[in-house]
Amino acid sequence: MFYYPVGTVLAEAVTDGGVTLAPIRDVLADEFYTGALADAIRSPGSIPAGLAGWLLASASDIANALAVLVNALVSPFDGGLESWPGAVLGGIGGVLGALAGVVPGFGLFGFTAWQALCSTVASLALGLPGAYVLARFEFPGRRTLESLTAVPFVLPSIMVAVGFVAAFGVNGPLNRTLAALGLPTVELLFSLEIIIIAHAFYNAPLVTRIVAAAWESVDARAVETARSLGASPTRAFRDVVVPQLLPAVATGALLTFIFTFMSFPIVLALGGLEYATVEVWLYNRVGQLDIQEAAVLAVLETVISLGLTYAYLRYEAATSRGDRVGSPLDRDPLFRLDAKRVALAGYGVVVAVVFLLPIVSMLAASVTSPDGLTLRYYRFLLERGAEATSAQVSPTLAVRNSLLFGAGTLLVAVPMGVLLALASTREGRLARAVGVLSMAPFAVSGVVVGLGLLQTLVFGTTVLGRRIVVGGPLAIVAAHAVGAYPFVVRNVAPLLAGLDRRLVESARALGATRNRALLDIELPLVAPGIAAGAAFAFAISIGEFDSTVLLASASGSDTSLYTMPVAVERFLGKQTLGRPTAMGSVLLAVTAGAFIVIDRVGGRYRE
Amino acid sequence: MTDERVSRRAYLATAGTGIAMLAGCSSGGGDPGTEGETATDTPVTTGTPTATPESLSGTLTVATYSSWVEDEGAAGPWLKQTFEERYPDVTVEYVTPDGEVSHYVQRKQQGAPIDADMYVGLNVDQLITADSNLDTDLFDTPQLSNGRKVKDGLRFDPQGRAIPYDTGYISVVFDESEVPRPETFTDLTEPEWEDGLLAQNAQTAATGRAFLLWTIKEFGTDGYLDYWRDLQANGVTILDSWTESYSNAYMNGERPMVVSYSTDQVFANRYDYDMTRHQVAALNGQGYANPEGMARFADSDSPDLAAVFMDFMLTAEAQGEIAVRNVQFPAIPESEAALTEEFQTYAKVPDQPVTFTYDELQGNVEGWVEDWAREIAQ
Repeated sequence: MFYYPVGTVLAEAVTDGGVTLAPIRDVLADEFYTGALADAIRSPGSIPAGLAGWLLASASDIANALAVLVNALVSPFDGGLESWPGAVLGGIGGVLGALAGVVPGFGLFGFTAWQALCSTVASLALGLPGAYVLARFEFPGRRTLESLTAVPFVLPSIMVAVGFVAAFGVNGPLNRTLAALGLPTVELLFSLEIIIIAHAFYNAPLVTRIVAAAWESVDARAVETARSLGASPTRAFRDVVVPQLLPAVATGALLTFIFTFMSFPIVLALGGLEYATVEVWLYNRVGQLDIQEAAVLAVLETVISLGLTYAYLRYEAATSRGDRVGSPLDRDPLFRLDAKRVALAGYGVVVAVVFLLPIVSMLAASVTSPDGLTLRYYRFLLERGAEATSAQVSPTLAVRNSLLFGAGTLLVAVPMGVLLALASTREGRLARAVGVLSMAPFAVSGVVVGLGLLQTLVFGTTVLGRRIVVGGPLAIVAAHAVGAYPFVVRNVAPLLAGLDRRLVESARALGATRNRALLDIELPLVAPGIAAGAAFAFAISIGEFDSTVLLASASGSDTSLYTMPVAVERFLGKQTLGRPTAMGSVLLAVTAGAFIVIDRVGGRYRE
Repeated sequence: MTDERVSRRAYLATAGTGIAMLAGCSSGGGDPGTEGETATDTPVTTGTPTATPESLSGTLTVATYSSWVEDEGAAGPWLKQTFEERYPDVTVEYVTPDGEVSHYVQRKQQGAPIDADMYVGLNVDQLITADSNLDTDLFDTPQLSNGRKVKDGLRFDPQGRAIPYDTGYISVVFDESEVPRPETFTDLTEPEWEDGLLAQNAQTAATGRAFLLWTIKEFGTDGYLDYWRDLQANGVTILDSWTESYSNAYMNGERPMVVSYSTDQVFANRYDYDMTRHQVAALNGQGYANPEGMARFADSDSPDLAAVFMDFMLTAEAQGEIAVRNVQFPAIPESEAALTEEFQTYAKVPDQPVTFTYDELQGNVEGWVEDWAREIAQ
């Protein structure tokens, strides 16, 4: 369901009559794609001269900018004292600009990597304090909040774009608040900044969830031992807790980087074509039916992502050999007044702006018409649910299908992910290879997966004169599970790797079978990771769009397999955002409810 | 393939129409309707349907874009219902594949069955894409009794396969309380209109493509990239679809100008929007005409039924409904279509419609769009 369809597309990157690397070389040597690297790829001999020229030029730029700054600093009276701060700021800006100019342009790939890096940093900055709050504090609604961290993942990107434009637009609530406070307003839309914030919206909850799961399995006794040996709380945190969290932080960062490297609808909707990434370009190639160039881009993306994964797995193998057992740290009450909690309240405000404001703005769009408040869009959903014709989408059917496919995905992806996690945490090269391959569904362009499914399963193949077309619910569940199981692997594997092997060994020595040891010792200890992975697997299924829409239309006129995100997309039309946002609000409500149920059920095995 | 495509459909829905006699248009390559007009050259019996209600039966599968069936008051459901009432033994089924026309191009390339009888919502560049990617014809040439009612200037297929059923004119819609009316293309690069314009990706959105072609018409193949560099320097924003740029960004007041349709005020009036934000500017007095067509698949199992449905879409009654519901101009002369008063009051026709012909676009359009996209994305 994955390797074969994708393989058929990727193979086009290296076939041109026969097998050839020319298409890949052409892309790498194209300045549009690789910028300054293109020259080097075309003629490696020119590298030293090019490098020297570049160093010289940038050194003189920086020197000039520094001279301007020093001049501004030492002669405050030149342009009058009151304009001095401005001159100094201008000088600093000049130096920063010259430094930034040192980084040569690396074309589309360079820009894509750069925005992914910025997005990763932003997601960590926004996600880590959340993990701290969820793992270390007790407060009413904590479990629910933890469940809800998976919600952003299911929101169709078009809905997120609608919410972001409404929230951060020139006339949005953020700017109105700033203006009311007498502060300058911000113009965020159609900029790199808004792309990064939206990427953080999607990925910071992922970081939070993965790191919180790891934090919950930090052994309290190790911290107590360190403290009793005289370590300060800070020191105990740095020496005992941080090393145990690092693999989880790195997992979150890796996933975020890969996702944002492959980012595409958000970039288009909030940044526009000027901020195109490789995946945007790939999508456009497919639209022009230039499948070969699309395949080359997909191969390069995959190589980069899997290379990062491999590097990460080496790191994970080297770091996580802790002696962890399940004796979690105690949680502190959240509501009390001290400096730490005031800082957390500030973090809460940022979270509210980044997460709540867009979602609330989206909900608001579903009950607002030009005439003011209205329920007419929800009434439309009910009416359409009752009387949709064959070609029209019925909201009720969409809700039912989404939940069914989500449940099916859980049943397939969770066992599959746990097994692969077990396989990949054994010692050795083979285990690392399994680990890397288990990430392949993340590392392959979503556009290419869609294209592969279309060409192989939806169009079908002729076997013995009969056309075999794969469609239907099982195909959709399989496609969702393929996209979802890597989440389970990456949530569970770091915890498994950190398990104290001696526990399993003692159990085996005391006569437990391999399976008994697995069920009674290992799985309960990694339960937080399994729960986190399951929630994301469900989220992936609910939010999945590309393969659902393709497979749902596999059998011609039978389109009754569409899901909630497909319905949102289908209701987008002329002049009004009411219908799609109403459908999006239903999606939000249904899945938030489902997450709370999953987490509660999963949580029973946790304590 | 992703939800970005959405916007393209939505956009397509709105694109495309025009009352207009394009006969007077500035297309250099001559009237596109002069060659190979199989449809109109064929002697036909006028005025009567080619089949009687009793003689027709079966299922007609019509492929189209999704807003044709999903939009509020969309034309699709009305056509289905009315046609089925007229021919009680016929069932009309719509299918809305995600890839639109290119879905069928890919099917044909892969040797998969087409599974549909006709396509509604085809424009000239999609037809060129189909022709240039396939060795055999995706569409054939139907014999229509009402075919000759279509205004000559709208016919965009030299081989007469695609029959226009409506048309639109690309224009700039602006907020007169924020910016002066842009009169020329050069105005859009002036400081007064700085950071003002929302346009669409010419690779994915029909409005975006039409606006790009319009600038090529104005500045030539040697000059259009320079013009776009100036537009970029003046802060143009290029989003993927008409829906994103219009419904989401423009309607939220993000920018004072958006590339849209000359029929914009029909919507604005229908939903009681403030007209100051729905002024239509015809740059240089022009508008780029973008007819939408229908075509019958060569592999159709019910070719006769498809032809009767196509004929039906060109009747005065259906032309009026399609124009009003799709907010585009009819393909038959306006005086013959049953149009509402609201539509006649608010739909504007540019003084000088311009467009490229099939022959002018063939072999060129892909390169133009590619060069443009590389210019923008760097």
